[in-house]
Amino acid sequence: MVIRGAGGGSNPVMKRVFPLIAFFSLLFLFLTSVAFGQAQTRLRVIRASNVGQSIDPPLKELHNELKTLFNFTSYRLLRDENLSLSLNQPVSISAREGRIIMEIILVGLHKNVAELRIRVNREGTEILNTQVRLSPGRTVLIGGPKLREGVIIYALSARF
Amino acid sequence: MKDSCFSISKLLEKYFDQEVTDKERLLIEGHLQDCPACQDALSSMEAIRTLIKVPIEEAAQKEDFPWVWQKIEREIRLQEKLTWWQSLRPWLDLSPLLKKKVWIPAAATIMVLLFITAQIFFKKIPSYSGASVVEYAESETNNIMVYDLEKAKVTIIWLFEGPEEEVIPS
Repeated sequence: MVIRGAGGGSNPVMKRVFPLIAFFSLLFLFLTSVAFGQAQTRLRVIRASNVGQSIDPPLKELHNELKTLFNFTSYRLLRDENLSLSLNQPVSISAREGRIIMEIILVGLHKNVAELRIRVNREGTEILNTQVRLSPGRTVLIGGPKLREGVIIYALSARF
Repeated sequence: MKDSCFSISKLLEKYFDQEVTDKERLLIEGHLQDCPACQDALSSMEAIRTLIKVPIEEAAQKEDFPWVWQKIEREIRLQEKLTWWQSLRPWLDLSPLLKKKVWIPAAATIMVLLFITAQIFFKKIPSYSGASVVEYAESETNNIMVYDLEKAKVTIIWLFEGPEEEVIPS
């Protein structure tokens, strides 16, 4: 008795079926990767104070907003990070030698809107728990935690 | 023509084309010795062959065979060049698949993949137009202020750290 394997390369039917399955599998993978894609965001960590009167050049584009909103005279860019946020994958950014930690989790990604859960911890205590919807062109400023003689401001904007 | 000429004449063409058996050949050659009619018939066949063969050989001598072969090859290549539709047709022809049960798992796999993909893409996407940027903001230790600047597309979440806090949005 001769037993032929179903996956035999010489079988013309299988030769036709396998490329079809492979095509649909690749299509599926592509579409799901798009659907569950990452949200690119930019996070700038700024120290605002009234010591001196300087604004770091990279903050020039935010200067008008900052000047309108706050009474500070000096803005210094501490960190400028491009974050690739994946669904339900927390990303932590620390400031003040690790004593203030911001944790960002992408909890939803829709067309042009990323839902972010943000937690700010100071020395192990949660001082802020918020959820925001970030869309292109919008900036979310989270500020207030004291940092030396000033405060810390997180500027979060979309890059998708 | 003798009586046996009828049976011999049937074999005469085969004999002329050298397609007879040894036995048939001996029979025909024996008959030909005594039969002028069959000899004439054989001579006629030879004459006809000569008549056809000579002009063909002359034409063949004049013909440039490499050039002819090139033409044939070109024609073959032109015929081999299939249109996109012709090349696609074998793929669209599902009849061999339908004859075998292998299409059942294949179709099931494709259906499952399409179903999952459709669930992802056609689920109702909530509209956020006009919705607040901040869904919620809470703190057990500090007061919070949420401020939206729609014109500048800036949203501020400000955390007040104690009663002496003086740094507030202007």
